[in-house]
Amino acid sequence: MIDILSGIQNTTAALDAERTRLNVISENIANANTTHGVDGKPYQRQVVVFESALRQAMDGGPATPTLRVAGIEKDPRPFDMVYEPGNPDADSHGMVATPNVNIQEEMADMISASRTFEANLAVVKNAREMALQVLSIGKH
Amino acid sequence: MIPLNAIQPLMSAYGVSPSEKISPSLPVTPTDQPGILAPAQPSGDSFSTMLGKMVGEVNDKQISASQNVNNLQAGGDVSLHQAVIGMEEANVSFQLMVEVRNKLLDAYQEIMKMQL
Repeated sequence: MIDILSGIQNTTAALDAERTRLNVISENIANANTTHGVDGKPYQRQVVVFESALRQAMDGGPATPTLRVAGIEKDPRPFDMVYEPGNPDADSHGMVATPNVNIQEEMADMISASRTFEANLAVVKNAREMALQVLSIGKH
Repeated sequence: MIPLNAIQPLMSAYGVSPSEKISPSLPVTPTDQPGILAPAQPSGDSFSTMLGKMVGEVNDKQISASQNVNNLQAGGDVSLHQAVIGMEEANVSFQLMVEVRNKLLDAYQEIMKMQL
């Protein structure tokens, strides 16, 4: 197969990974106030773990490290305890465990993820520009 | 013009008889002489096979790009960037094919214009 846009495989993998990260961040933000999750416990913040994986080229080429999502882990930090006696999820002292999601932290993460996504898109754009410029060598 | 007889003694001095200037035991191939290019031996595929393969690959890319877009619109397991990158790849490889075709036609027309 002709490799028309060089290095595009790695960039696609990185874009996939960043998209997963953005999805997880949106889940965290959406559930920032969920005190009663599916398991009855408050929502626990999730974080994406990236790892590099070796991608063996299909045509027996050299293996190149690429990025992939190793897994989505739960943030082990303790829940925030808020005094709210009227809440049905409150314990005997009137304290409600709220998710360990910090909106500011999520926003900062989101900026980081979307900037990384943009950087990878810039790589794609650049590879495309380079290919088109090379093709214009023969033009009069 | 130098008559052959005049150089005959010189040649015999070097041990070469005029009838066999080149020993038949030493076949001279074009590659032995500097400045003369040997005709390239076709190795493997012919040009037309190569061109056909390339057109086929470009077609494959177009097909997979359109499949990606269809999948995306059908809510399949394709992300937006995958579809767009696939389309871009198909576009660039199509342009490469057009460029090759233009070069080929240019060369053909150049040859047809040649004065005989």
